[in-house]
Amino acid sequence: MKKNKTRNNRILFLILLLVMMLLMFVGMVFGSVKLSFDEVFSVLLGRDTLSKNAIIIWNVRLPRILGGLLAGAGLGTAGVILQGVMNNALASPNTIGVNSGAGFFVMLSMLVLPQNLLAKSTMAFLGALITSLIILCLAFWAERSRITIVLAGITISSFLSAGMNMIKILDTDISINATQFLIGTLSGVTLKTIKYPAMGIIIGILISIILSNALNLLALGDGVASSLGLQVNCFRFIFILLASAMSGLVVSFAGLVGFVGLIVPHIVRFLFGHDARTVIPASALLGANFVLLSDFVGRSLFAPFELPVGIILSLAGGPFFLYLLLKKGGRRVNA
Amino acid sequence: MLEFKDVNVNVGRTPILENISVRFNWGEITSIIGPNGCGKTTLLQTLNGISSVTSGQILLDECKYLELPLRERAKRLSFLPQFRESSPNISVKGLVEHGRFPYMGFSRKMSKEDREAVQNALEYANLLQYKDCMVNELSGGLQQRAYLAMQLAQNCPYMVMDEPTNYLDFPSRREMYRLICELKKTGKTIIIVAHDINQALRISDKLVIMKDRKIMASGAPRVCLKEGIIQDVFECEINEIENNGTFQYVLM
Repeated sequence: MKKNKTRNNRILFLILLLVMMLLMFVGMVFGSVKLSFDEVFSVLLGRDTLSKNAIIIWNVRLPRILGGLLAGAGLGTAGVILQGVMNNALASPNTIGVNSGAGFFVMLSMLVLPQNLLAKSTMAFLGALITSLIILCLAFWAERSRITIVLAGITISSFLSAGMNMIKILDTDISINATQFLIGTLSGVTLKTIKYPAMGIIIGILISIILSNALNLLALGDGVASSLGLQVNCFRFIFILLASAMSGLVVSFAGLVGFVGLIVPHIVRFLFGHDARTVIPASALLGANFVLLSDFVGRSLFAPFELPVGIILSLAGGPFFLYLLLKKGGRRVNA
Repeated sequence: MLEFKDVNVNVGRTPILENISVRFNWGEITSIIGPNGCGKTTLLQTLNGISSVTSGQILLDECKYLELPLRERAKRLSFLPQFRESSPNISVKGLVEHGRFPYMGFSRKMSKEDREAVQNALEYANLLQYKDCMVNELSGGLQQRAYLAMQLAQNCPYMVMDEPTNYLDFPSRREMYRLICELKKTGKTIIIVAHDINQALRISDKLVIMKDRKIMASGAPRVCLKEGIIQDVFECEINEIENNGTFQYVLM
């Protein structure tokens, strides 16, 4: 029975990987200019470096696909971690205001240092970190009542959204498209803008995978975890740091992409079980797939116009999540 | 021997325990009994780091327990938590494997020794047939046994149990006590917070009686009984019934 389960999990992983490769390829072929498979291959293999196809792939489509992968993987992992650390199934970068914190700081940095990409990433991380630490303190103070954490998150979120909207209205010259930024979009992603975030997110996911067993222990409650020799508060802080870094960095290049961090961990637990050692890598993969697919749909649905990926995620993800909740009878969500 | 010397515990700024001194002897079962809110759980939680000791000393085999790193503590003293409403959504075997956490290196890979310890713990707690079941889908008695198995996998000479039989039905309760008595025979030192006074009187070598955050008395069960301390603390009478050489106690 156990063996079957690990085998099933392996097969699921493989399927997710294959789907991801397929989505990446499809994303390179389709778009406002349709390329043939041959054309894509000859660009990727370096045979065609000068034609407009090469420019389209290297400057537009590939960065966008990589951006989608990173955004999905980062938010998926951050979601799992936040849900684990706060012991709250409703936690996610979006619901507890971590994204808004990052967003607000990104807009501030755009205001002051419009061209500095490193400043943008750093500010995004700081914003996310400060917000999540505030939430963690509130949670600690309110004795971890689940409702309080989410309510505090919503309050902080709307407070920061007000700040972002203020910047958006007062400074119309702000060097990002603020409307799209607030919804979450991958248009305009270039290899340059994702350079720093990519490093951070990949490192973040790797560290999370290495530390994933500690997340399992935290799920048993502080008393048990510490009696097994885990430095509970220290690890909680490290995990908050990781989740903030990842979600902040995603915000820095893709804006406030919502929903991935909330629903991906739930779907993964539904498919793979609750062991964080499986859930973290699986969430990264599924998150990546989810964002890639949504971005692809957003680009093709009303081509040549495109919808920001954030809209598609909420449009498709919302009902799907409701379906999952109802199917499970809402019982097992209380993980 | 585990010894508390003048231990004070504050939660926030309010003192919860003041100047607690008590000894738990090697190789014995000691039960801590007392009415709700008398501080017994707080006393135990100084051992897993949930209640922080503000002054005083805890000595474990002559070494200062509170100065040991958590991981070292976890190799010497294990903790069975109180029965909880929400239980983890992992397999029994997965839960028991967590008991090996203090022994695992940075890679968190299980060695042959770890695997054996897990297997033995599962066997000891009679859980082999349930090892792939999800903990949260088991009955209360089996869940508690799964936690006990986790504690066994930790393989510590000292085992602390916070109300191990709470919410359990009679057969699970009896099974739990049987396991605890067998553990004593294998040389473990066992400290229990107990609500079930009858059982505490029957299986313990020593009782620690608490009331109003103080230790009223400690000593052999029969002595405590004879001196009427339990009767005073719980405001009751205790009848002793002999049945085939074993004693049962009825609180009235």
